[in-house]
Amino acid sequence: MTSTPSPPPPSAAALPAAVLPDATLPQPARRRPHMPRKFWIGAVIVGGYAVAALLAPVLAPADPMAQDVANRLADPGTNHLLGTDELGRDVFSRLVHGIRVDLMVGFLGAFFPLVVGTLLGALAGYLGGWADVVIMRITDLVQGFPVYILIIALVFALGPGIRTILIAFTAIAWVIYARIIRDAILRVRSLDYVQAARAAGIPHHRILLRHVIPNTIHQSVIYFTSDVLFAILAVAAFSFLGLGVPPPTPEWGSMIAEGQPYLRDQWWLAAAPGVAIVGIGLGLSLLGDGVDDRWRR
Amino acid sequence: MSGRFLFVGKRLILAVPLLLGVVLLVFLLLQITPGDPARQIVGLRASEADVAQVRDQLGLDDSVFSQYARYLGGVVQGDLGFSYKSRQPVADMVAARLPVSGWLVISGLVVSLMITIPLGVWAAIQRDRAGDHITRGVSLLGIAMPSFWVGLMLILLVALPTGWFPVGGFGDTFGQRLNAIVLPAVTLGIAMAPIQIRSLRASIIRCLGSDYVAAGRALGASGFLLVRRFVLRNAASSMVTLAAVQTSFLLFTMVVLETTFGLPGLGQGMVMAAVQRDLPAVQGYTLVFALTVVLVYLLADVVNAVLDPRVEIRG
Repeated sequence: MTSTPSPPPPSAAALPAAVLPDATLPQPARRRPHMPRKFWIGAVIVGGYAVAALLAPVLAPADPMAQDVANRLADPGTNHLLGTDELGRDVFSRLVHGIRVDLMVGFLGAFFPLVVGTLLGALAGYLGGWADVVIMRITDLVQGFPVYILIIALVFALGPGIRTILIAFTAIAWVIYARIIRDAILRVRSLDYVQAARAAGIPHHRILLRHVIPNTIHQSVIYFTSDVLFAILAVAAFSFLGLGVPPPTPEWGSMIAEGQPYLRDQWWLAAAPGVAIVGIGLGLSLLGDGVDDRWRR
Repeated sequence: MSGRFLFVGKRLILAVPLLLGVVLLVFLLLQITPGDPARQIVGLRASEADVAQVRDQLGLDDSVFSQYARYLGGVVQGDLGFSYKSRQPVADMVAARLPVSGWLVISGLVVSLMITIPLGVWAAIQRDRAGDHITRGVSLLGIAMPSFWVGLMLILLVALPTGWFPVGGFGDTFGQRLNAIVLPAVTLGIAMAPIQIRSLRASIIRCLGSDYVAAGRALGASGFLLVRRFVLRNAASSMVTLAAVQTSFLLFTMVVLETTFGLPGLGQGMVMAAVQRDLPAVQGYTLVFALTVVLVYLLADVVNAVLDPRVEIRG
């Protein structure tokens, strides 16, 4: 993008000043009246999980870490809604506290890449030149790589834990947001209403905030909701493999791994955390699908 | 025709820097991993002199550049170093585990196509009607289910009640192995299908709107016949591209499922190596997976060039 606003062409200068402020410019990112029903179903599910995460200490009948080895592998019943695990911990309480861990890692694991990717993409699109070349070559390299395998290797190098998982996700998932923003900047700056805004002498950051971001944000939001889902699935998978959230933190993937040896007789130990994952996964999918539908139509 | 060869040639040349980058990233794992590899090999109780000797043997005191050159030289000759744990050449470990992973991936892809093709075609033909909505709901559910959990539920609901399949492990005879791969393959197929279905549906719908399909309609073709005769070959090209894009997810699911079902493949090897902190083995497996992805992308572009004469090199 040229660094200084170009002088207004004669036609723009001829317009009355009152017509020019950007409130009157065409705004394609116009609000449509309502979201599809599946968006709301998804929102209710995700909201329900979020509330349960906030209220976890109230909802959980027992301390998720408290061991009671004399009472291990107890059947589900009035004392323990979903029984107890191999160390006698209350499974339902661990499941509820697990929402906090999985939802937080899922949300942050998608949020950091969104921020980093948007910044780097804006930089690439805005500065152009070598910055653009370098940033885009890096995205090529990351995209040509088996990303999850790279995460395993990074987890190996940095040691397991939530911090490592978040670093690894951010290092890899920022790519898509960078591309969205960069492509949008390149596309949008040739559009009439942006040309008009620039002709009117509106500063770059304002054009970016008022015209570029609103027209790309829905795309990023769709990727964001599916990235939250993938981050939750991935952190559960890494923990299942013993490379994610270390025990004894209540996390759904490691709970499934701990339940696997008891599949024959205490099947609910492995089944229940999976149901929790499927629930939040469906909620996020419906949410993302709803946003997608609204913007496609 | 020459244009296509030119395209393939250019594509091959472009793969070289990517391959070098991949090897560099894998090599850098050594640099960012904390701890002294020599100390890990000789054990905590060994003397400093022993550690120094091993460091010297491994060339760990050389410059990073010459270490990279040596690593790259080894990789080119198929030398992936020695495992810290088993003291075997990593290349031998990879070779022993490769067939298991190969069979799992191939049979898993067959299962996924058996799910994807009928459902994807059905959803496209029934666009915005019942079949489309049902397929979409099933795909959403499929995406939300963790593969390892689906695997365990199949063990719980199929293997344990019927006794037809082992609950884990690989077996020794061909029959046992065939049996052992069924549930992992079905699980892998279920994991891969949802995204494939969406993509097949979208590309069929795109093709259905084109001129040559209108011509097909004018000839009296409709429904499945129309799709089979006029659409699938054209939709195949985007499916090949999708297969390449999906490779990374496929490999990860393979890693997870080999661990879930106790199959001695590359994925289980990598997880074990990571848990045991066996750096050369982790590097070796990472490299093999990365090379696989690079090669699949290359192959996909070549196949697309053969399938579709219009393919040109993309910006």
